[in-house]
Amino acid sequence: MMRLTRVELRRLFSRRLTTIAMLGALVVTGLMLFGTFQEAKPLSAPEQAAQQAQFDQAKKDWAVNGEQQVKDCLVAQSEQQKIDPKATFPCDQMAPNVANWGKPVAKFTEMMPNILLAGSYLLAFVAFLVGAGFVAAEFSSGSMANWLTFEPRRMRVYVSKLGAAGLGLIPVTVALLGLLTAGSWLIVSHLASTAGTTAKVWGDLALMGGRAVALAVAAAAAGAAMGVLLRHTAAVLGIAVGYLVLVEGVFGQALQGARPWLLQLNFNAWLQHGATYFSQTCKTDAQGNYSCQGVEKVLSFGHGSAYLGLLVVLTVGVAALVFRRRDVS
Amino acid sequence: MTTSTTTSTTSSAGELAISTRGLRKTYRNRKGRHVAVAGLDLDVPLGGVHGFLGPNGSGKTTTIRMLLGLIRADAGTMQIFGSEVPKHLPEVVGRVGAIVESPKFFPAFSGRKNLQLLAEAIDRPRDIVDQVLEQSGLGGRGKDRYKTYSLGMKQRLAIAATLLKEPDLLIFDEPTNGLDPAGIREIRNTMRSLGEQGKTVLVSSHILDEVEQVADTVSIIGHGRLLASGRVADVIGDQAATSLRVGVADPVGAQRILCDSGLLVRPEGGLLVVEGAIDGAQVTKLLAAHNLFVNELIPMRADLESVFLALTADEGLETVGAAR
Repeated sequence: MMRLTRVELRRLFSRRLTTIAMLGALVVTGLMLFGTFQEAKPLSAPEQAAQQAQFDQAKKDWAVNGEQQVKDCLVAQSEQQKIDPKATFPCDQMAPNVANWGKPVAKFTEMMPNILLAGSYLLAFVAFLVGAGFVAAEFSSGSMANWLTFEPRRMRVYVSKLGAAGLGLIPVTVALLGLLTAGSWLIVSHLASTAGTTAKVWGDLALMGGRAVALAVAAAAAGAAMGVLLRHTAAVLGIAVGYLVLVEGVFGQALQGARPWLLQLNFNAWLQHGATYFSQTCKTDAQGNYSCQGVEKVLSFGHGSAYLGLLVVLTVGVAALVFRRRDVS
Repeated sequence: MTTSTTTSTTSSAGELAISTRGLRKTYRNRKGRHVAVAGLDLDVPLGGVHGFLGPNGSGKTTTIRMLLGLIRADAGTMQIFGSEVPKHLPEVVGRVGAIVESPKFFPAFSGRKNLQLLAEAIDRPRDIVDQVLEQSGLGGRGKDRYKTYSLGMKQRLAIAATLLKEPDLLIFDEPTNGLDPAGIREIRNTMRSLGEQGKTVLVSSHILDEVEQVADTVSIIGHGRLLASGRVADVIGDQAATSLRVGVADPVGAQRILCDSGLLVRPEGGLLVVEGAIDGAQVTKLLAAHNLFVNELIPMRADLESVFLALTADEGLETVGAAR
């Protein structure tokens, strides 16, 4: 079994699609670091001067018109309170504040979870693509039949292929996430603030990175299983893109109640140890006024992990049964 | 020439490389069920080349795929070297090298890389790859990508792959399809050579001439059933009487003399055809006694094409491809 897995690992890293996918992931990682650089870099001297000039002008305007603007604000607030008695407008915060001008200092502790989240999505996609192509190419080229004449124990063959797809993605995912984290740290520490990056923050980031690696492994295995079921990389990608557009994009937005079962939200719940989302609740009151309110809801880590785990187990299990019984030509 | 009874080899199961009994496979398609193999009893003796002959669609490839565990049989039993397959296939697969239809490898990998992966999968030493590449005449092209190979080279690579196992049984399914004449001769020589080395070679083909040239024994199938089996010469002998073509200066006189002796004779062109299993010496002697001297005497054997047509005359099968 180990020998077969070793052979499959060698084959995985000899494939052109694997190399291209890895290089693509590396390029996107570089672009993400460039994005981090753009976000972290402070304003240049001319930009700061321009911001200061705008602030000075706003102060002058406020000195002349500020009193009237506050009065107008209070009038508007009282009008709104006739409909909604609880409505409050920030009329006392209208004076220009220098803190609202210029660019706030970027903080590593706030940026990094979002960067890791984006990196995890990228790597999960790459893993899915590599896993699907790795197995589907064998069917479409016909070499699976040849392989089975050398090793006819199909379950061994199946496990070795899925195992290689999953295991092979671990070092790649770790390396790219490490590069992303180290690169972001270097950029932010030079250009912005890494204050507050305590051991606990690092621990949380490490756990999130670990979950991202697990997600990539699961995506690779699921991709390989889909490759067994559909036998063509293009078919797997077609199904995946179709799902993202139709189900996650159209159906998911139209049916609010289905959102806890969408992949993206469950990915977030898994990666961020719980995720929040807004669900709109609309009603007509006694006066016949129709109003909608966004209610914040939480999708728990347990829900995300159980749901994603079930999906992966089902996909891998069904593909195993099919591969065990289906004729190979 | 019209009998379609099945003859079988007399080997016991222990002496057989392959044995199937009542093997059956049905496919479902839009038009309903299609019986690809209908209760096939096949015996392939140990050693030598065994032809597996039948027209396209007669069930040859399906049978081979079932033997190799690539598709599941609906009914029947199969044995390779006395072991039940597919149940015990993992135990005997190391002794079996097979090429099913056209060779199929990873197109973007070199020939050597393809073989290295297979060799590693069956725990063979790395240097065997270069050995089999040399053996199959691909020593100089091992580093080239498989997709750049000609059909003949692909076939040679497939043979090299079968040799990685140092197998006792080689299964070649339509091995000369698409090859040029030089390639065909090369593959046929390889098969004969392997058979002469004591290995068992099962060669599936719809080309009668090919089987006749390379095989020691033959099984003929049609519509998924065995029609005849045995030594190539015996199968022909069973199915066709020998005749003689006789050339003589006075064919009319010669025909009268031979007919008077009780022989069945008909003129054909400027020659006479004496029907039946006739000893040429008898004909020569009869004519010489009347001062008629034979200037041409050609014994005529039925070929496999005639045999196949005779065997399948009542089956409504398509005609097999022309011999090359």
